[in-house]
Amino acid sequence: MSNTMRLNKPMGLLVDHNKSINFEFDGKQYDGLQGDSIASALLANNRWLMSRSFKYHRARGPLTMAGQDANTMVQLGGEPNVLADKELIMSGQRVAGQNYSGSLVKDRDAILGYFSRFMPVGFYYRAFFKPMGMWEKWEPIIRKKSGLGKLDLDFEPEYYDKMYLFHDVVVVGGGPAGLSAALKAADAGCKVLLVEEQGILGGALAYHRFDIEGEKADILRGKLVERIEQHDNVEVLLNATCNAWFTDNYLPIIQGKRMYKARAKQCIVASGAFEQHVVFRNNDLPGIIMSSAATRLMKLYAVKPGQKAIVLTGNDDGYLTALELQEHGVEVRALVDMRTTNDSVELLTAVQNKGITVKKGHTVYEALGAKGNQHIRAVDVREIVGQGQVSQHSEIIDCDLLCMSAGYMPAYPLLCQAGAQLSYDDNSEFTLSNLPENLHIAGSVNGIYLLDTVLKDGEFAACKALKNLGHNIELPAKEKCTRKVNFYWPIFSHPKGKDFVDFDEDLQTKDIVNATRLGYRDIQLVKRFSTVGMGPSQGRHSALPTARLVADATDRTVTQTGVTTARPPYAPEKLAHVAGRIFDPVRHTAMHYRHLELGAKMMPAGNWHRPAFYGKPAERDNCMQIESQHVRNNVGIIDISTLGGIELRGPDAAEFMNRIYTFAFLKQPLGKTRYAILTNEYGVVIDDGVACRIADEHFYVTATTGGVDHVYRQMLKWNAQWRLNVDIANVTSAFAAINVAGPDSRKVIQKIAEGVDLSSEAFPFLAYREGTVAGIPARLLRVGFVGELGYEIHVPASYGEALWDAVMDAGKEFKIKPFGVETQRLLRLEKGHIIISQDTDGMSHPGEISMGWAINRKKSFFVGSRSVEIVMAREQTRKLVGFVLSKDNVKPKEGHLVLEEGNISGNVTSCEYSCAVDSIIGMAYAGINQSEPGSSIDIRVDKGLIVKATVVKMPFFDPQNKRQEL
Amino acid sequence: MMSSIKTSELFNQRSFVSRKIEAIAFKAIGDGALVTKVVSKGDSKTHAVNLALIDLSVAARIGFRGTNAKSHLDVAKLPVPSKPNMMEQSKKGSLMTLRLSDNEYWVLDGSTEMGEKLHMLTALPVPYNCYRLYCQHSHAWFMLTGQYIEQTMAKICGVDLRKLSFPLDTIIQTSVAKVNAVIVRHEVNKIPVFSILSDSSSAAYLWDSLLDAMGEFDGCVLGIDALGLE
Repeated sequence: MSNTMRLNKPMGLLVDHNKSINFEFDGKQYDGLQGDSIASALLANNRWLMSRSFKYHRARGPLTMAGQDANTMVQLGGEPNVLADKELIMSGQRVAGQNYSGSLVKDRDAILGYFSRFMPVGFYYRAFFKPMGMWEKWEPIIRKKSGLGKLDLDFEPEYYDKMYLFHDVVVVGGGPAGLSAALKAADAGCKVLLVEEQGILGGALAYHRFDIEGEKADILRGKLVERIEQHDNVEVLLNATCNAWFTDNYLPIIQGKRMYKARAKQCIVASGAFEQHVVFRNNDLPGIIMSSAATRLMKLYAVKPGQKAIVLTGNDDGYLTALELQEHGVEVRALVDMRTTNDSVELLTAVQNKGITVKKGHTVYEALGAKGNQHIRAVDVREIVGQGQVSQHSEIIDCDLLCMSAGYMPAYPLLCQAGAQLSYDDNSEFTLSNLPENLHIAGSVNGIYLLDTVLKDGEFAACKALKNLGHNIELPAKEKCTRKVNFYWPIFSHPKGKDFVDFDEDLQTKDIVNATRLGYRDIQLVKRFSTVGMGPSQGRHSALPTARLVADATDRTVTQTGVTTARPPYAPEKLAHVAGRIFDPVRHTAMHYRHLELGAKMMPAGNWHRPAFYGKPAERDNCMQIESQHVRNNVGIIDISTLGGIELRGPDAAEFMNRIYTFAFLKQPLGKTRYAILTNEYGVVIDDGVACRIADEHFYVTATTGGVDHVYRQMLKWNAQWRLNVDIANVTSAFAAINVAGPDSRKVIQKIAEGVDLSSEAFPFLAYREGTVAGIPARLLRVGFVGELGYEIHVPASYGEALWDAVMDAGKEFKIKPFGVETQRLLRLEKGHIIISQDTDGMSHPGEISMGWAINRKKSFFVGSRSVEIVMAREQTRKLVGFVLSKDNVKPKEGHLVLEEGNISGNVTSCEYSCAVDSIIGMAYAGINQSEPGSSIDIRVDKGLIVKATVVKMPFFDPQNKRQEL
Repeated sequence: MMSSIKTSELFNQRSFVSRKIEAIAFKAIGDGALVTKVVSKGDSKTHAVNLALIDLSVAARIGFRGTNAKSHLDVAKLPVPSKPNMMEQSKKGSLMTLRLSDNEYWVLDGSTEMGEKLHMLTALPVPYNCYRLYCQHSHAWFMLTGQYIEQTMAKICGVDLRKLSFPLDTIIQTSVAKVNAVIVRHEVNKIPVFSILSDSSSAAYLWDSLLDAMGEFDGCVLGIDALGLE
């Protein structure tokens, strides 16, 4: 189709008249120009119907042409709810309407409009829940009808990301006030970010007519934009929406597929104002648009919005709109001014000189629709005889376009998010007060509308910002604006309704008034009851008429009534913007790739990745049993690099160890290791490890993988009080470590170790030695977590992979096999060794877990000593016990409950089948009366089954601990 | 020397990101090997000036902490920054002394040789109240080079790293892509550089995060030769 409504240059700031683009809408092909939005291209083809309303499926076309309403929401491929007046057309693009049954033009659901009297606000809550059980029947029908657009469930994720920005001053809004503020701040040497929601700078200068000749805006815009573009201190983001204001000027700005997170020392909001609609019957018909939308269409997109227009206004801007329309070939049939007098005699004369009829003190009382109400065909104009009252005398005027403006409301959401107070005075004008210290406003959002004053107001805001930044600057006098832009009562309720307050939710005047009659007098309650302002346009046009209606119905002022709370985001944002490029750190040990090469099934351990076992996930149990048998019978190797490591060095290192851990460390011999338990101030066991005394003033202590960071913080915290001369370093990442365990482990290590005698006499169980392994400097610990002869070898992390390779190579002749964390857990379970945080919880004290032996009662203090004493002296209620079950039972899982006479007495903490014991073995908290070996405990397993386990003395395997001491 | 080395696995000391680099040449340094050249993506110097990521994890460095750490560096006649979060370079430029707190210093050798002074420092007995740190192994060392380093970091770091706020030879200790990092701003042969020292266990993750952020600016991985270091 051809662009029948296209204007010639210089109209069309955003489009390239020489580049045509073809696209599809609603199954038909259309041509647009490069730079067109979907909506402007369709309007250039005289296609106005773009969507159907949410509730009554009324025909809707563009209202603001600025992305500020829900009337242009369309389906773009797999993406629903795309704003057609913001989205640019692309060649071959397929666009469709949404929320219709049948076709967009012939929507069967439009019949709902005829039943609107039966669907008042709140009917939903009341109609479908009675009688009992009805909701189940209604729900699928309602769900089928609800929602707008269709999601593409085969959607492939796209790349969205985030970026931080840092500026001295961020100016939100690239209109005259914003440009002026940005230039003033930039001239003073500040780094300025200018954020503009539209595709070009200038704001109203780009589309609004400011003078009778229509020249002033273009000239001024050219000058300002040229200066901005040439200024080194100004960075501009176009098509970017500042979507929220957070404390200290933290501003999320969305542009394309990126969310910028801007930090501004000073922020100036020059966000402009939302033009307000007039409430009358059928004020939603396609062809009824804001005055600013008409001028945007002409100036930005070179689209003539109609042939025969009516201009309905509550201020002098309507006169300028009429001149603009007439100048571009639109016949202005009448200028309907709701006021009895206008401000400018010159404007009135200019309009009348163009042959335009001016009807003062009149309004449009009803718009009349063409067939199917798919476009306006005429208006019913009447004289205003009182607040919201019109005379009986009606004048019908044919038209295909109605441009309306009841006035302007500040674009307040960002400011109200910052805590600003919006007030509305007796002269129908707004003010915003209570702004945070480093947030400023300028221009029409500040109630300033005269162009020269707007520019000065921008500079004033910049001066305030500069002063806050420490610039030595005199504040100019604050600008005041005498111009009035809001008509006091642009609401003309009609007995037949369809006088829409909120286009998003199809809310009429009676819906708001009825809400107050039902007792919802507070504006917030009216919002929640009626859903006014809860649609995609978030009350940009409905907030003020709603406040007026509620104020009138409750006999209060608009200021007393207030407006609903503005919360982030300012405009709808995709979850992708919030979720895009989340950082989720993972940690790998030095041997990570070796595990992958060996077919390890990896598992998370905090943010580490560790091998659970080596083999297929489906063969977990079998792999574990094979690996554990191999350790018991031959030799195995496990990567334990994730084990926490903390170094304590200095004259007070031993004293510090003695205070922080429960055992005694002052006299720990050099070259020896000692088990170390850490309790907190409440006597709860929070971590454990092995302390190696490397030198008199040097300890190397391990901690659990998940606990080391907390342990380290605790150490720093305590020493901030104790002020001991000790250096505490978290060296977890500095060391890689392996445990080589099994009867053949000594033989393997002997092949590659130097400088250390591995014989049991020279290097007994629980000893610490240093030497080299495969030429790598190493710390060797003889400890027995898995209960076999074994060596922990700790080396500098960069050497970890080489160490692994060397040990695997040396172990070939002994058939060395790697084993994973799950296997290690089984092996240590067989030995009855607990894992802190798996076999303990937030209440476990040393007595409960049979660790009384690890408490040194002779020393005067350790962290938690007093609490440990108290909690252990109390009557005990539970104890960690070992239990066995014959292997033909259902295996309990961790967390399964232990019962005592039907009551919960504890829970299972660890459980696994052990081929070494040939039974199911586990640990569980049990009631104190159930804890003696030989007792029977009931464990409730899956499906509520009860299995009876027998409490046994641990360890389950090698009770004399001979194997680890070989 | 050593350009014939085809894999860093011939050495005991290995970088945590060695598998992520398509290296074609190495230079032995200590027990490890630095990547000197990678599979060609055009003129490496042009890339280095634009945006590049270079792994120096195997390059020599050492740290000291304690009240006598400064005097220990003084004995070795190393430059010592006057206050924390500053960096001083040696006259030849290859040695950098980072002061990370009142009493913590790291000495980094960006050359492809283990410098004489670092050798000397390693051999010196550590004085009372001075403790050696293991930054050689606890931290990976990457150099992000070129004109887009600030924009790249702005995608993964919430701290203002513009030159205005983060001048030459200063240090910021912060979080990058949610892992702790020490960032040093300096220059190598007049190319702007951020040296990033971060936990070695999450080095591969950070490497990927940096490359992802660099994609927008046509950043790439290079070997150390691209910087013309000697």
